[in-house]
Amino acid sequence: MKICITSSGRSLDSLMSPRFGRCPFLLVVDTERQKADAIENKNASAARGAGVATAQTVSDQGCKIVITGNIGPHAFSVLNAAGIKVFITEALAKTCEETLRDYNNGKLSEASAPTGRGFGRGRGRGWRRGRKN
Amino acid sequence: MKTIAVTGGKGGTGKSTVSILLANKLRSEGKKIVLCDCDVECPNDHLLLGQKLKDPVEKVYAKFPKLNKEKCRRCGLCVQNCRSNAIFMPPNGYPVFLHELCSGCGLCWNLCPHKAINIEKKVVGEIFTTSVGLPFYHTPVRQIRNFLVSGRSAGIVEETGPIVSKTRKFAEEFAKKVKADYLLLDTAPGTHCSVIRALIDVDLAFAVTEPTPLGAHDLKLILKLLKKLKVPTKIILNQANLGNRQPIDKIAKDFGVKIEFEIPYSEELIKAYSRGKLEGINIL
Repeated sequence: MKICITSSGRSLDSLMSPRFGRCPFLLVVDTERQKADAIENKNASAARGAGVATAQTVSDQGCKIVITGNIGPHAFSVLNAAGIKVFITEALAKTCEETLRDYNNGKLSEASAPTGRGFGRGRGRGWRRGRKN
Repeated sequence: MKTIAVTGGKGGTGKSTVSILLANKLRSEGKKIVLCDCDVECPNDHLLLGQKLKDPVEKVYAKFPKLNKEKCRRCGLCVQNCRSNAIFMPPNGYPVFLHELCSGCGLCWNLCPHKAINIEKKVVGEIFTTSVGLPFYHTPVRQIRNFLVSGRSAGIVEETGPIVSKTRKFAEEFAKKVKADYLLLDTAPGTHCSVIRALIDVDLAFAVTEPTPLGAHDLKLILKLLKKLKVPTKIILNQANLGNRQPIDKIAKDFGVKIEFEIPYSEELIKAYSRGKLEGINIL
């Protein structure tokens, strides 16, 4: 099975990235072959829809599980539609390897809803920028 | 007819307040004004004038893609090429269009080799007109000199630029029809697409700012934009007697832009603002 971890670097001992759509790298860990491949996330600087585009990459890689710190509404809903499970870690200062160990020990919880309102153009306040009316 | 835009980069510097004050000044000189609220994500000029947006006079439509599953061959061309990343294709399913992210550019339906993408029209915004001036029973209708045109996004799309364009076009035609002397455009904060669409080809732009570090920072951004758009610009300094105005003076000098008006902090003005009674204030 393939697991995808959002990472700030290319290897398993780099710090994990707390963001999904705009993380610098995606680490695809193949649990059967005991191997990790790093993919540079080209969508990190997308003007819009970084989460959806990153979800597309994850889905194209054949991953079944995503481990990240935060996930927005669009990315969450499309990952859901693709049957990919999202696990959220709150220990953000850990390396990808430690996070993977936490996952294997059952310490991470599966997300049932997006953790935020997207962290891209709307800056986490929704696209009304937090204004009312 | 002259078109004047009131903009400013930073939010909360008093763009709407200044727009109305400017309208009041021109009105006191006997000019006929149409004020257009181009901040379609959050129109509020009507609130400052103590008005309500009633029935929309026009609706703004946008085109969205809609999939015809029978024709779709799942080639993925639309997904790869969407510049808004608004299309997602699950591993064993058909493409899903996320309308919230879609800008309605039409790339996908023009690109699709199997003609599997249909066009669906949706209301994305509304335009309102409000008469501002003395109440109807005091004056004959034709003597009312001032109108407010407000655009309002329906909250379906993230990209509100097209709604601003439609609102502005409507206001321009409306101003011609009522033979207005000035069309005032009150823009949204920022320097993004929906602001640019309100600033293109205006005769004059006022950049409203305040003597704060953020005010200075955002003033620089909007002045750069206005320079690129080749729009004649003047600065209006709000709350001029508070904070540190040196950075603002320096930016004005660097860009060669004049500070046209200075509005001192005044409790009267704030009271009128918060009570929706800006209509009678003429201090510029």
